[in-house]
Amino acid sequence: MGGARLGESPSFETLRLLRRDDLAVDGVHDLGGMHGFGPLTIETDEPLFHEPWEGRVWRIRRAVIGRSTTIDRVRSTIEQMPPAQYLGASYYERWLWALERLATEQRLVESADPPPVVELPSPEIPTWTGRFQPGEHVRVRNPVTSGHTRVPRYLRRHVGRVERVAFAWPNPGESAENNAYGQPELVYTVAFSAAGLFGPGADHTLTADIGETDLEEP
Amino acid sequence: MSDLTPTQRTEILERHLRAHGHLDPDDVDAAIAAAESASGDDASPALGARVVARAWADPGFRARLVADPVTALSEYLALTVPIAVLADTPTLHHVIVCTLCSCYPSELLGEPPRWYKSFEYRSRVVREPRAVLAEFGMEIDPDVELRVHDSTAEQRYLVLPVRPRGTEGWDEERLAALVTRNCMIGTGRPLTP
Repeated sequence: MGGARLGESPSFETLRLLRRDDLAVDGVHDLGGMHGFGPLTIETDEPLFHEPWEGRVWRIRRAVIGRSTTIDRVRSTIEQMPPAQYLGASYYERWLWALERLATEQRLVESADPPPVVELPSPEIPTWTGRFQPGEHVRVRNPVTSGHTRVPRYLRRHVGRVERVAFAWPNPGESAENNAYGQPELVYTVAFSAAGLFGPGADHTLTADIGETDLEEP
Repeated sequence: MSDLTPTQRTEILERHLRAHGHLDPDDVDAAIAAAESASGDDASPALGARVVARAWADPGFRARLVADPVTALSEYLALTVPIAVLADTPTLHHVIVCTLCSCYPSELLGEPPRWYKSFEYRSRVVREPRAVLAEFGMEIDPDVELRVHDSTAEQRYLVLPVRPRGTEGWDEERLAALVTRNCMIGTGRPLTP
């Protein structure tokens, strides 16, 4: 198979027209707790990349697209992939699908102007106190947001216990929508009884990191 | 464009980026080669293993690593995201996952294995971790508390496994050889001497 010529290139103009401005929330990517996927395939002596193009996608994402986009913008783009396509694609195919759209959105395929580099938040431990304290019970809000969210469906409306104030980070929905990191909010590590989420057969504990705006009094 | 293979689509994207000066192909080749031959100093399971081995050998470092990982790890790398170190005990076992995408402590372990990114792992390990761990050949005693951590925010997790018996007096280098990638995710145990 010969290399593709530019004349056969995907129409980046088409991608631009198809771009969705709404950020999908309840997508098929939200897999936690779903049934039916079957046993794992565990490879031994797994190579870093299974195909040469995967390494190239990995580098384009890190060195090019990742510099001018928030991670939330990238994730929300992947989450716009139609469900059947998402489930039929490999990890790097999903990345490629998103990179084509992000490169278009960032005008990297048509202009030599470098897009602004996104300034990263800092992983420092917050010094302020929040609405919730360790040991308190909290309920995960639903609906959590009208845009991109990092609150998995299997936790929504459930009550958990705050383990600790983990860190502070800009709200993912805002970072996705604005493609910029704003003011940080507190993020709590919240513990849930798996029996409460999945039934009495489950005897483990589940934790997730949830931002303050997605939590309420129980 | 659905008729094009991923190889062709990547080539086209790369060509567009190159044509506008956003991508240097030599840099792509060099970065792939470097990642494929990552040594203990680079982001790879070898780096994570060095950190775990030091925590086993040096109680002071272990305490700092668990209490304030970002500072404790600053002599290895400058972290751009928070990280939490989950210390296993004989009665407590931790497992990490990212159900929404594939968040992983790449800074310490390199790129995740394919099973970690799979729909099977992401959907099942939060609901039935004991069944999933059994597929890795791990039996978790019913008396052991099992905690599954879903990486739903920018905080990454590293599991600090229990130091294997029979390694008293071992130095860090010898200990590091026992630390597998999977035991730092929670889906495996360290090797035994």
